[in-house]
Amino acid sequence: MNERRNGLKEKITNNQIWQSMFRHGYEKTGRRYTLQVLQNVWLHLHPPRVTRHAINFRFTWCMGGITFLMFLVTAVTGVLLMFYYRPTAEYAFRDIQYLEFDIPFGMLLRNMHRWAAHGMVIAVMLHMFRVFLTGSYKKPREFNWGVGVILLLVTFFLSFTGYLLPWDQLAFWAVTVGTNMARATPVLGHEGPFAPQDIVTQANDVRFALLGGTIVGPSTLLRFYILHCVAVPLLASVLMALHFWRVRKDGGISGPL
Amino acid sequence: MEYFLLLVTKPDNVPIVAIVLLLPFFTWLAFSQGRRNDLAGTPAEAALNDKVYCWPYLCRNEFLCAIITMLVLGIWSITIDAPLEEPSDPTITPNPSKAPWYFLALQEMLVYFDPWIAGVVLPGLIIAGLIAIPYIDINPKGKGYYTLKERPFALITFCFGFFVLWIVLMVVGTFLRGPGWNFFAPWKEWDPHKIVPLTNVNLSYLFGIRNEQPAGIFGMCVVVGYFALGPIYYFLKRGTSKFLQELGLVRYIVVSFLFLTMMSLPIKMILRWTLNIKYIWVSPWFNI
Amino acid sequence: MLSRRSFFKFLGWGNFLAAAGLAFGPGLIRFLYPRVLFEPSSVFKAGFPGEYPPGTVSEKFKKNPYGVWIVRKEDGEFYALVAICTHLGCTPRWFASENKFKCPCHGSGFDREGMHFEGPAPRPLERVQITLAEDGQLLIDKSVKFLEERGDWGKPGSTLRI
Repeated sequence: MNERRNGLKEKITNNQIWQSMFRHGYEKTGRRYTLQVLQNVWLHLHPPRVTRHAINFRFTWCMGGITFLMFLVTAVTGVLLMFYYRPTAEYAFRDIQYLEFDIPFGMLLRNMHRWAAHGMVIAVMLHMFRVFLTGSYKKPREFNWGVGVILLLVTFFLSFTGYLLPWDQLAFWAVTVGTNMARATPVLGHEGPFAPQDIVTQANDVRFALLGGTIVGPSTLLRFYILHCVAVPLLASVLMALHFWRVRKDGGISGPL
Repeated sequence: MEYFLLLVTKPDNVPIVAIVLLLPFFTWLAFSQGRRNDLAGTPAEAALNDKVYCWPYLCRNEFLCAIITMLVLGIWSITIDAPLEEPSDPTITPNPSKAPWYFLALQEMLVYFDPWIAGVVLPGLIIAGLIAIPYIDINPKGKGYYTLKERPFALITFCFGFFVLWIVLMVVGTFLRGPGWNFFAPWKEWDPHKIVPLTNVNLSYLFGIRNEQPAGIFGMCVVVGYFALGPIYYFLKRGTSKFLQELGLVRYIVVSFLFLTMMSLPIKMILRWTLNIKYIWVSPWFNI
Repeated sequence: MLSRRSFFKFLGWGNFLAAAGLAFGPGLIRFLYPRVLFEPSSVFKAGFPGEYPPGTVSEKFKKNPYGVWIVRKEDGEFYALVAICTHLGCTPRWFASENKFKCPCHGSGFDREGMHFEGPAPRPLERVQITLAEDGQLLIDKSVKFLEERGDWGKPGSTLRI
């Protein structure tokens, strides 16, 4: 039995196709463990070895990883939702209803997308809390803490732009209330302090750039859709790559030195 | 009470309920480890400083964590449906209209400050202040492990900002604000016609200043004086405090400005509750 | 003394930065502000004056896409209030029994004139131009605003007396 299994394994792995994809064997040695990480594009974010306390849940809470996982879940479910969703004022709401009632697993995908987004906000806040409590922002990690703060902001903005897309009362008014604060931006908002009267107006202030109009309307929906599905995820990906790379370059996960 | 239960079980409020339950646990987890490290003298992580292979030891933990998280997310998504209300209508504002839960602390600040402060300046300063933390915290201790007694000021300030000014305001905004953004205790029913007598006055009025210009100058003096507290303390204590000398003037000014700005929120809240203060400083261009 | 090499270095980098800066700075920002907007017209007719009894606040044109209250005072004078709260832009509601406009978002209250008297609103409701059209209907132009804090409320066009 064992021999036949080994023979099968030999047949699968000992050929040009398999070996062109996987360079290392499966023996339980330190050399193979190192190669496994170094020769795998997905795993080589990790160093070959980490300190023992870094794999301790009590110490890390795994919140950064959960944030990234939630980002991946929203990316996958989001792409699937885009198959049925049209970002126009006529169709947006009806497409959500269509998704919920007529598409197999549509409701489940929408739920997963929304709850994963909320989960990402929770996880990112807890991650920041942990990093602060362990003093992991201190030298040499100052810059990466700053990148993390920007990523927190990006997470909020991702969630906020997605909030409008169902185009229901909840979405519409949450975004109206939220974006109206931009009216009061000093100098750049038409109702803000020190804004030159009749020069900064509703049609050219900073809120207009976000809404694409003077009111939350169809062009706002389109703008938020593009920001939510393309621009902000791209920005988040770039910043995440930087964030993860810096974790390694700044000495890996923090610990007492 | 019924209204309160309805709010707590509302699908979109699940995350905030989760936060209310998760935070005490994680705070306990962190503080118990901090206490343990303080008592032992050396952090427990220092003893675990030998290296292990990422594959399989770290990857296994990550995989486990991902599976458990997906399990929770899966159950959450199967049992609770994402909300979808009636189609949007620009002429009907739901009462109350709330921002997404993670912005409710900001919406709550709007009760006490004008939109340009609560909606633009304060969020901007929160972000700038968070980014500035590593550059203004010159305490070399407590790097990479939980501790309580080695960095008390940093911990107290951050926890005050995080718990009181962010989480508590968020919870109040979610669960205790009803129609007209009025405050409703959990056992009270939401009454859209509730009338709250608003007798708010400006600080200068309390001091008997009735004219516009002197009131403006008085308000300016109060605000400028408040922010001057920081530098004044510095110049009084500079000679004797070794800590202030190490911190340096520039860092100190940034720290004191951010700290005083953060404290201005609870101060304004308390002034509103006790003395019904509307504005501290009224000027033709802006009000604070 | 600037060497030829460093002069051209500055020139090259200067050009590169200027071109990139213009494209991603002013260029991108300008791109976000279209020349034409497909928003509801700011001018509309609101029926004949006789349809509005004196001493009433009409919600007839509060609906999308108009968003104004047409108020007729006891003495027959008209004015039009924009149904946007001056605090954060929610749509207030008219409570006839309490004789006030009340904003659901943060509880700002405005009296029949549009003056703010409670809540966080920093200034009164905005009034817009109201005139008579040639066919005798009321003509509202939302692009012409009359703000109390600028002392506009008495100006011609802010009210209409028949």
